[in-house]
Amino acid sequence: MIWQQLQSLVGSYPLALRGLGVTVVLSLISLVLGTLLGFGLGILRTGGNRLISAAIGAWVDLIRGTPFLVQIFLIFFILPEFGIELDAFTAGIIALTNLAACFICEIVVAGIRSVPTGQVEAALASGLSRWQRMRQVVLPQAMRIVLPPLVGQYVLLIKDSSVVSAIGLTDLTRVGWLVVQRVPNGLLVFFLVGLGYFIVCYPLIMLARRLERRMGAAHGEVQL
Amino acid sequence: MTASPSKNGTGMIEFRGVNKWFGALNVLRDITLSVEPREVVVVCGPSGSGKSTLIRCINGLETIRDGDLVVDGQRLGDPATNMTRLRTEIGFVFQSFNLYPHRTALENVTLAPIHVRKIPRNEAEQAGRELLAKVGLADKVHAYPAQLSGGQQQRVAIARCLGMRPKIMLFDEPTSALDPEMISEVLDVMVAVAEEGMTMMVVTHEMGFARKVAQRVVFMDAGAIVESGTPEEFFSQPKTDRSRAFLSKILRH
Repeated sequence: MIWQQLQSLVGSYPLALRGLGVTVVLSLISLVLGTLLGFGLGILRTGGNRLISAAIGAWVDLIRGTPFLVQIFLIFFILPEFGIELDAFTAGIIALTNLAACFICEIVVAGIRSVPTGQVEAALASGLSRWQRMRQVVLPQAMRIVLPPLVGQYVLLIKDSSVVSAIGLTDLTRVGWLVVQRVPNGLLVFFLVGLGYFIVCYPLIMLARRLERRMGAAHGEVQL
Repeated sequence: MTASPSKNGTGMIEFRGVNKWFGALNVLRDITLSVEPREVVVVCGPSGSGKSTLIRCINGLETIRDGDLVVDGQRLGDPATNMTRLRTEIGFVFQSFNLYPHRTALENVTLAPIHVRKIPRNEAEQAGRELLAKVGLADKVHAYPAQLSGGQQQRVAIARCLGMRPKIMLFDEPTSALDPEMISEVLDVMVAVAEEGMTMMVVTHEMGFARKVAQRVVFMDAGAIVESGTPEEFFSQPKTDRSRAFLSKILRH
């Protein structure tokens, strides 16, 4: 009987690969967009305009304080009520990008605030513009603080992407649900699903650990 | 607006009735002070007397509440004054050096010339090497700040300012964070800069430096300028009780 189940599982490997592909593509797009947006929000948050800073802070708190499942339902089921029709993939990307951006914003803000005031004053005194101060002086030093938790956050977000199965997107988790209907061995099926996520995440976990060690040892120099 | 300072009595740095508060604390009281081009002014006084605040106002690291502050013919706080551009004409040397730790000595010196002055990289690096050689650090061009002693870091910081070819150099207790044996190497560089005709305001208690290059010593206490005169006058015949008390404390050692 277990033999039959294994055979049936092997037979569904194209579906599994597709699911893994959806998970990886969805995560990758959302993480790239979320990182760009998160850095932008983080820089704006520390930029000195109180109104913008407060608005971003409120949004970040709202997103961090509500379940991702609820956010994704809101985007997928509520937005069409207002005439914005979204397919599941786009809705998933929007939700995950927004989530990533909010968490990354907080990480970037902590990094920027860790740079001593004297550094900004030195850059200011030599006539660097706001963007030049950020790009040439503050961000390179903030990256020491930002990089390890940033990569750690990627791992969390890849795992959070499993929630998109709830709106019918055939990602790795949903493939698990589909397969388990044919192969009634939940333990085996979801063990393999878990393994799929682990294979994607483990290199990142290792990377985060290495970065943490290197940042601890380095004296200010960060090669990206 | 005329470029010549003498015509309308405007110095390179001109304080007229400047006041500043931190909350209820009046940190600058009715400051009136004019620094001529090529003049070297030493500012001294007890800690908390407002001397750092005074020079930090000149390049806009602090803002003033009222009065006029005119630097290189431009009035600070005036909407017509481009503060970022004005800062490129003013070098500022910090007590704690504030070198960029992620950049080498040469990169510290060339950053602003390349990005602000838009000087081609190879030209800026050539000039940077010359400046580092001038402050005695030709062999430390590729060293990171963490690999340099305090005295060496402060000399890089001075070279970094000179790289912008400023009209004014401000020094905020440049030797206070240094071990005693490193003070003279920094002061020597400052003397050389002064002798080239730089307009300088230096917050320091280094009386040897003041005697050597300053035309004027300004003594501050509780946010006000209490006394001002040549180094000779100030050190040998201080006019006020407060300056006498201050001098007796710093000269005892």
